[in-house]
Amino acid sequence: MSFLQPLISGILTGGVYALAGIGMSLVFGVMNISNFAHGDLMMLGMYLAFFSFTLLHIDPYISLVLIIPIAFMFGYMMEKVFINRVIHHPHQNQILLTVGLGLIMSNTALLAFTSDPKILTTTYSSSAFNLFGDISVSVPLLLSFLITCLITVILYLFLSKTATGMALRATSQNREAAQLMGINVAKMSAIAFGIGTALAATAGALIAPTYYIHPLAGHSFLLKAFTICVLGGLGSVVGAGVGGIIIGVVEAMSSTYLSSDWKDVIVFVIFLAVLLFRPQGLFGKKGGQ
Amino acid sequence: MKQIAFIAVLAAIAIALPLVIGESPYFIGILISLLMMAALSSAWNILGGYAGQYSFGHAAYFGAGAYTTLILLTLYNLNPLLCMAMGIVVASIIALITGSIVFRLRGHYFGLASIAVAEVVRLSVLNFEFTGGAQGILLSDVVLWDLDLNSKIPFYYGMLLVLAVTLAITAYLRKSKTGYYLQAIREDQDAASSLGINISFYKNKALLISAALTSVLGSLYGLYIRFIDTSAVLDLRLSIEIILTAIIGGVGTLWGPVVGALLLVPLAEVLRSNVLGDILIKAGLVSETSGVGMFLKDNLAHAHVLVYGIITVLCILYLPKGVLGLFRRKK
Repeated sequence: MSFLQPLISGILTGGVYALAGIGMSLVFGVMNISNFAHGDLMMLGMYLAFFSFTLLHIDPYISLVLIIPIAFMFGYMMEKVFINRVIHHPHQNQILLTVGLGLIMSNTALLAFTSDPKILTTTYSSSAFNLFGDISVSVPLLLSFLITCLITVILYLFLSKTATGMALRATSQNREAAQLMGINVAKMSAIAFGIGTALAATAGALIAPTYYIHPLAGHSFLLKAFTICVLGGLGSVVGAGVGGIIIGVVEAMSSTYLSSDWKDVIVFVIFLAVLLFRPQGLFGKKGGQ
Repeated sequence: MKQIAFIAVLAAIAIALPLVIGESPYFIGILISLLMMAALSSAWNILGGYAGQYSFGHAAYFGAGAYTTLILLTLYNLNPLLCMAMGIVVASIIALITGSIVFRLRGHYFGLASIAVAEVVRLSVLNFEFTGGAQGILLSDVVLWDLDLNSKIPFYYGMLLVLAVTLAITAYLRKSKTGYYLQAIREDQDAASSLGINISFYKNKALLISAALTSVLGSLYGLYIRFIDTSAVLDLRLSIEIILTAIIGGVGTLWGPVVGALLLVPLAEVLRSNVLGDILIKAGLVSETSGVGMFLKDNLAHAHVLVYGIITVLCILYLPKGVLGLFRRKK
């Protein structure tokens, strides 16, 4: 098999991972909170895509138009009701609160949707085309990747050009100073968590057509999202984007050349190696830890 | 004096309990789970409560104990106590690797890296062949002295002993030099460092003690249940349950984890055995054949993790110092 095959499918999958990683990194940067419910928010996105396909007969990619605002509102409310109250608490309490919220989401999903995995089959789910003769490119993965790129560009423009985006970045750089400049940091936190949730749900919806949809699916994505954030440097949005692609490629490469059983182990070993040799991540500032 | 009398009464009750409730395997089973969770959470508390290093991967040490013991027993049929000692060695190696990678960093990193290490252990056990992979390990027979290991009683006293040892170590540590250093690190790492405390040495020491005790409990559990797989002894859920128990009782207190286990284990049992659903049906509030009744019967048993989630959220928001913190504030 050609070396390019795993590289290309890795980049395509990695794009979706990057989206989840960017969401987590944004929340971490603005709020300094490790969101352990991130994977479960992705799982909710998968179910939203599944039900808008089966019940409303909307294509999963088009349903993003619905999913993004719903998820944003959900995250915004979640921050206002829960997260906001522990923002000055020790890290451990913040982590446990999000762990608790994640458990509530995944187990409510388990009760509501049962533990049978669901499969979202669209007409193009298994279609692929050939590139350079022998490299097959999956259509749903390519579509997901293109949508990911589009959303990342929109997010980038939002963060760099709009007043709210600049206020978000200011809060991320220095919360106290931002507050002194008259930025409503409490509102920025809610907006950041809303965007983080929307990105997680989008990643979930994008991955839904090529993945088993299961109430506990969030678990493995959570750890991947963390690896991506640490690899890119906690809080760095650009880093998370690059980190996502790297993890996608590493996974595809280790599935091809090693075995798919070990691909997650390799991902976590990379995570530990980054902590050992470059704890600030590839794009983080030195001393940032 | 008062404290010694209190502990003596508690110990007497704990030792006499199996004689009072007799041979009911069901209740002894619940008591064993209770003692085990109390001991696991107390062992975690040495690192999490006193040193302030929240490990989200303690299942790795529990699993290391359980797997090492059962693998050595099935392959070489060694003395179970020797297998247990080997379990401690394996758990300590994992702990030292984790510690050397992570304790140079602070904040979020220890929690994240402890999960990563635990996942590497879990997935490796799942993928290797000598560990039984996804099928786990089934142990046919264990012999230790003249003990009747088919009965649950020896394991009750075994768990009780480990709990007592863990509590004794905790009680000793918190009044010792190491204990004061750990608490100084928890309160302000920079200040502790500037006073000349070797931060990473003491963090590693706390982690090693905690991991060793956790691994002994894993070995005992393996010998008791005689069947282990990764979802029973290496799952992230177990790590979270251990932390939860400590949080609900009171982190960084001697008795907090015990109180947490006293509250959570019976609750889990009530939910798991569907007592609540049965009561609602028997009271005539819900008909057994109605849709609601069927739903309760089918699903309430699975809902205990959901209840754990709700308790965690409420506890962090309203009771961050745990049940024991509630009493302390009133004083």
